[in-house]
Amino acid sequence: MADAIELRGLTRWYGSRRGVLDLDVAVQEGEVFGFLGPNGAGKTTTIRMLLGLIRPSAGTATIWGLDCWRDAPALHRRLAHLGSDPGYLGEMTARQTLDYLGAMRGIARGAWRPLAERLELDPDLPVRKLSRGNRQKVGVVQAFMGSEPLLVMDEPSTGLDPLMQREFLALVAEARAAGRTVFLSSHNLTEVERSCDRVGIIREGRLVKVATVAALVGDHTRAVNLVLGRPAENGAFDLPGVTVLSSTGQDVHLMVRGDVNPLLGRLARLDVRDVAISTPDVEDLFFRYYDGSVAGSEGRALADARAAAAAAEPREEVSR
Amino acid sequence: MTALTLRLELRRSRMIALWLGVIAVAYSAIIGAMYPIILDNAAAIEDYMKIFPEALMAAFGMTGSLADPGVFFSTYIGTFLWPLIAAIAAIFLATRPVAADVERGWSDLALGTPLGRVRWLVASIAAQVLVLAALAAVTVAGVVVVGLVVGAAFDVGRFAAAAVILWLFASAVAGIASVVGAVTLSRGIAAGITAAILIAMYLANVVAQLQPDIAWLADVGFFKYLATTELVDAGMVPWASVAVFVVTAIVGWAASLAVFARRDLLA
Repeated sequence: MADAIELRGLTRWYGSRRGVLDLDVAVQEGEVFGFLGPNGAGKTTTIRMLLGLIRPSAGTATIWGLDCWRDAPALHRRLAHLGSDPGYLGEMTARQTLDYLGAMRGIARGAWRPLAERLELDPDLPVRKLSRGNRQKVGVVQAFMGSEPLLVMDEPSTGLDPLMQREFLALVAEARAAGRTVFLSSHNLTEVERSCDRVGIIREGRLVKVATVAALVGDHTRAVNLVLGRPAENGAFDLPGVTVLSSTGQDVHLMVRGDVNPLLGRLARLDVRDVAISTPDVEDLFFRYYDGSVAGSEGRALADARAAAAAAEPREEVSR
Repeated sequence: MTALTLRLELRRSRMIALWLGVIAVAYSAIIGAMYPIILDNAAAIEDYMKIFPEALMAAFGMTGSLADPGVFFSTYIGTFLWPLIAAIAAIFLATRPVAADVERGWSDLALGTPLGRVRWLVASIAAQVLVLAALAAVTVAGVVVVGLVVGAAFDVGRFAAAAVILWLFASAVAGIASVVGAVTLSRGIAAGITAAILIAMYLANVVAQLQPDIAWLADVGFFKYLATTELVDAGMVPWASVAVFVVTAIVGWAASLAVFARRDLLA
């Protein structure tokens, strides 16, 4: 399958301040690619370069072989864009806004109506009277109302309530089913996990990992909680990739990296009353790439977020 | 797409055009209605004016008898009302696409469509040209129509030509504001710089007329060229004014197009 988006050594500096550094990634046609990172990691900078709004300091960004800066107007015939906080004109209604932006993209007047109804958007209110979530709905409708083969979205579900977030994920799934390519930046881990084929994790301007969600989850650690009929002998879990996190005799918490078969073989010989094996989600993986090495307020924020996530998800306590 | 954007820009300009138009028409209509009174009392007014230094009167455009339509128009409209109206409208309209819309993010949406930066800005410049022309027209129309109603012998053709000079002045201001906006991408900064340039030009013109040894100062600004007296009174077209304003407007807009097309759009 051909590459829809190709970033080669893409770098952007704002004076002496880092934007993104040496990004290398290719997004295939028909793929939903998640670009994951906290605020300030460089997601929006990357998207603004993809849209031709800012010029790379070094490297190239191409979409279907066209240079994102030089060929921006031609590229915009083939892509739809949604920003995290679209700057709509407050005096215009959602209807006027969507009709104007639709006409600019060659979309029939009112073609947005079914989507607006689906997202329960009142199109006749001036945008300045809409709540943050409803303004974002205008953006979602605007992004999905056409049939451009590429969707570029920057934190698209920000401000949407959970029901609308679910609807948004359904729209992404429909776009993928229709063969459209989606490039989606987010710090919403659940959104990325549920919607994306592959994820790129960006940290302090650099891509630290690009992999399929399945591969990311599969290659990493699993938490295994055991309740045994009687305490296991010493060294019962001395197996490659297995670490005993805690053991109170009959209750054993293990962490397994890689192949789980040796452990399963060992468990078959033990008196196991209960077993729970949990795979890490994208959130676990995300924190893994940020864990312990992010300084300052960002690090504290991540640590806080991690603690909150751990508190909300008891199984994650075990895995850590 | 350009036509669509032009329509949107005109639509977005409705409120400022309406309010400035109402103010301009109301003021110019009152001034127009006063003309017969000034005409009837010209001798007394001229006697009164003699108490002011000649240079001071010249500095504020009052050179000659207020009974002359040209002096009357220049004094009350050309050098007083119009620079204010033109500055407000031109700065507001010209900084909108290149600065305000970038700051608020609207340009991201508009330029996220197949519309290119140059076409987007050309559409906006066309809207500026039309709105400023409309404001100049209604400002002059207010004086002329009311003046004719109350019996003034105004030459409609010459006043229409004066409206063109006013329009070109406003366009030159818009050209400057546009390029400053494209460079700074900040409406506040662009408006401040453009206003400061205009105030400096105005003061230079005043000082130049009060101090003959630095009369050259008037040449560096617009206000020397905002001269409609001889146009209205004698039908003499101020070609130097036309040239200065047209060149400034075109150079300003062209420079803003060149800058805007090549620069990063970062608020």
